[in-house]
Amino acid sequence: MLKTALAVTITYAALVGAASAEPKTNILHQWATGSDAAAIAKLGEMFTAAGGTWEQTSIAGHTANTLAKLRADVVAGNAPPAVQLKGPEIAEWNETGMTANLDDLAAAEGWEKVVAPELLPVMKPAGHWVAAPMNIHRINWLWSSPKVLQEAGVAEVPKTWAEFNAACDKVVAAGKICIAHSTADWTDSTVFEVVVYGQDIDLYKKAFVEGDVEAMRSEGMVKALTQLRKMTSEYMDPGMVGRDWDTMSHLVGRGEAAFHIMGDWTIGLLTAGGFKEGTDYVCSQAPTDWGKPGFILNSDSVVFFTQKDQDYIDGQQLLAKTILSPEFQTVFNQAKGSIPARLDVDLSQGFNPCQQLSQKDLQASIEAGTLVRSMAHNMTIPQKYRGAIMDTVTEFVNTPSMSPEDGANAMADAVEAQM
Amino acid sequence: MADLSLARVADPEAAAAGRRFLAGRIAIYGILGVFALIYLAPLVVVVLNSFREQPEIARNGLINLPRSFTLEAWSSAWGSYCIGGTCEGMKRNFLNSLAMTIPATIISTLLGALNGYVLSKWRFRGSEALFTLMLLGVFMPGQIALMPWAFVLGKLGLTNSTYGLVLVHVIQGISFTTLFCRNYYVSIPDDLIKAARIDGAGFWRIFRKIVLPLSPPILIVTVIWQFTGIWNEYLFGVVFTSGREQPITAALVALTAGGTTARTYDVMSAAVLIGALPPLLVYFFGGKYFVRGLTQGAIK
Amino acid sequence: MTIAMVDGEGVSFRQRAGRWWPVVVLAPSLLASFVYVVVFTLWTLYISLSNSGLLPSYGFVGLENYASLWANRRWNIAYNNLFFFSAFYILGSMAVGLLLAILIDQRVKGEALWRTIFLYPLAVSFIVTGTVWSWLYNPADGVQMLVRSLGWESFSFALASDRNTAIYAVIITGIWQSSGFAMALFLAGLRSVDPDLVKAAQIDGASAFRTYRKVILPTIAPIFLAVAVVQIQFAIKTFDLVAALTRGGPGVSTTFPAIYVYDLMFQRGQIGEGAAAAMMMLAALAVVLVPYSFFVVWRRRRESRHG
Repeated sequence: MLKTALAVTITYAALVGAASAEPKTNILHQWATGSDAAAIAKLGEMFTAAGGTWEQTSIAGHTANTLAKLRADVVAGNAPPAVQLKGPEIAEWNETGMTANLDDLAAAEGWEKVVAPELLPVMKPAGHWVAAPMNIHRINWLWSSPKVLQEAGVAEVPKTWAEFNAACDKVVAAGKICIAHSTADWTDSTVFEVVVYGQDIDLYKKAFVEGDVEAMRSEGMVKALTQLRKMTSEYMDPGMVGRDWDTMSHLVGRGEAAFHIMGDWTIGLLTAGGFKEGTDYVCSQAPTDWGKPGFILNSDSVVFFTQKDQDYIDGQQLLAKTILSPEFQTVFNQAKGSIPARLDVDLSQGFNPCQQLSQKDLQASIEAGTLVRSMAHNMTIPQKYRGAIMDTVTEFVNTPSMSPEDGANAMADAVEAQM
Repeated sequence: MADLSLARVADPEAAAAGRRFLAGRIAIYGILGVFALIYLAPLVVVVLNSFREQPEIARNGLINLPRSFTLEAWSSAWGSYCIGGTCEGMKRNFLNSLAMTIPATIISTLLGALNGYVLSKWRFRGSEALFTLMLLGVFMPGQIALMPWAFVLGKLGLTNSTYGLVLVHVIQGISFTTLFCRNYYVSIPDDLIKAARIDGAGFWRIFRKIVLPLSPPILIVTVIWQFTGIWNEYLFGVVFTSGREQPITAALVALTAGGTTARTYDVMSAAVLIGALPPLLVYFFGGKYFVRGLTQGAIK
Repeated sequence: MTIAMVDGEGVSFRQRAGRWWPVVVLAPSLLASFVYVVVFTLWTLYISLSNSGLLPSYGFVGLENYASLWANRRWNIAYNNLFFFSAFYILGSMAVGLLLAILIDQRVKGEALWRTIFLYPLAVSFIVTGTVWSWLYNPADGVQMLVRSLGWESFSFALASDRNTAIYAVIITGIWQSSGFAMALFLAGLRSVDPDLVKAAQIDGASAFRTYRKVILPTIAPIFLAVAVVQIQFAIKTFDLVAALTRGGPGVSTTFPAIYVYDLMFQRGQIGEGAAAAMMMLAALAVVLVPYSFFVVWRRRRESRHG
């Protein structure tokens, strides 16, 4: 009780202090268009409403563009006050000693108790808070078209990979595309990590979380690549090359494809296409062969770099506070399809049933010990290893003549070359 | 110049020659026509799509005759399309690019003219070696220069400002402009300069009275070259600006990278045209000088 | 021609001061170019031998980055692509440019119009070019859909979507964009050929083809070199075009060194290895440039001796 009172007082003092100065920020991020941009614009509105001066630098296209900008600013000696950065990058930048420490704010706001435990090591890589999480994305989703499944005579959504293949055989026999896909390094890797995770969770942890090269060369990886090859050559259509990633899920919505394996931003894309949950598409956990709830987690976050100007330091405090406020977590995630990084936000109002399921499965997977972070979405191993793996996966997908054994070896070799 | 197809020979063969001439003409115009079609096709597709309505494009495909007409896409791309969280279209980016491209083009062209003048008419021991050094700048890949530039601009306090970008583009452009102007000025007779010097004219007077008046063709070439190059540059434009100062190429990439909705080909087409318009106009009006300027010595 | 030209007893103060103007005028550009060319390159060279990761740092590790680079499949593909692409792109633009220049040189009507048509792609950024052509290559929206909707159902035009042919899509687009420049240079060259030479050949009864082959083209040989050098530097720097057209795909089939350097340096936080890759790009340039610059200097010397 006393603690809460103290926290309130500190927060109040911080707010008053903030009000007397002029909190400013300029956030560097890569959400330039569509609902992503709309979601970040909400942050701006709330920041401005709280008395801050909001500016943003959004850089479209490849993530490398955003990172190039960040590096150039750091080399030039004026690191941006706030940057959208993820996973291991937070730890890497933390090691440069340039990130700002948010421990006081975190203590005052009680982040420790409300933020999903799996995110804590990411947000405080060396024991100190340097980043504020915005959301939790789930990667292992299976989006299905009830219409296509019915036409093909598939009674229910597949729960294991064997069921999935059986369902696909029926769908293909019925003359439909089984898996809606658009090939690119990150989409190919997304599907692949879902396969590996669903087949063998220990292999996933060894290869994709710990970066163990022997695990990449193992039988299990060959088996996963065999499944991936089956999916790319039999269940995906040739149109996967050159298709826009932002409209591939519409194949499911329109009833042209049975399944789509992708993270929950698909909700936003399907909604934008005018498709309804329940009738045009249904969501379920992607197949697993070990019969428990599972969750591959991805999270967007904002990292703060040390500033000299007091206005920007105040701005960082205000921005971090705003990001972790239940109000922002609600509005932002309703727009983006993900769920709040705070576990104490009620999703019963204004959230899609899939998002509600996501929150439920997150809790269940924490209890079952099956929660993992996503490799494809840059939450585990450093970029150089991740890049090497993704290069190999997309090359494998686009090279029908490459055998699963060669694929596994090429992956291990590529990662080893970076060590 | 080479009037090769006009082989007007004596009467008996005149008819045959005439037929050959005609066949030759048909072949020439035929081949040119086919190439012109291929060259124009992308432009035509984009122009048509910028006036079509998106649902109609989605129905009938990207390459098709318009069955709808609207200026909506243009006004949206210019003033109201949402890029990076602000719904102001690409107007500001367009003006940013102008504010960066015009000074950078003028300064680098002037420096190139002066350098070219020195390197062609006031050579000194070692000036050729220095010229070669400057020439190497033409070949520097942008990815190499990015990080060092960031450091230099940081030291000069010019990061995230249009001035910094102008400086970068001027220095990277000097090698091209110097090369063009130097090669052009070489063809100005040395006797002209010699006579002026005997009359007592100095370095600047000769430049103003003799060299500059002869320069328009090559200056137009360098202006075209610099303007298009700087206007179309993306990487540095994005990395060395911040927030509202981003150039037009940044907006173009944002627009064409696709968002979370189905691609709006109509707005993208209009945006592509708006983004390409200034250099296209520069080429359109300067095109004939371009070939002429090159003819008069820029290619040596 | 040297500055010392009018040196002598009766030189006025103005003239003596004027003697320094050339150096003064040249100095800022020279300094800037020196920093840009020499200092930046040496810095990159040093970084390529360092343990730089996320940010540049200066711990010396020898050739480690180079070894790691060449052990990488994607880099090898990228480097091979560069040579393959450069060869076809340069020859292609030169061939198309020369053909167009010769045709336009036949006193065609509306020369300015033809020239503008072939030159305009040069004004358009690689981003715009790549985007628009990716629409045309897209099997679902582009040329393939058009032809199929006209009734030829089995027509296939998916150049950019097949890993074996995607590189040709990049080459064709590159040629589309830059052959106008080659045309302009060749046209300029053709216009500068001495008309008497051509007349003499015609009087000798040489055919048009023979006149071009034996008389005109040899006299504009230096232009071939100039075109080639300009195109080579375009080819080696190829970045925006591929980034917008194929994003290096399908798979990694159209990865180029410039893209890989960018990925390593900025996406993956391997600045040391990225710098090593950049040095290899410069090495590829040097293979072409060193002989060329010797040639240029030699020609200049000869020129100034005679001039």
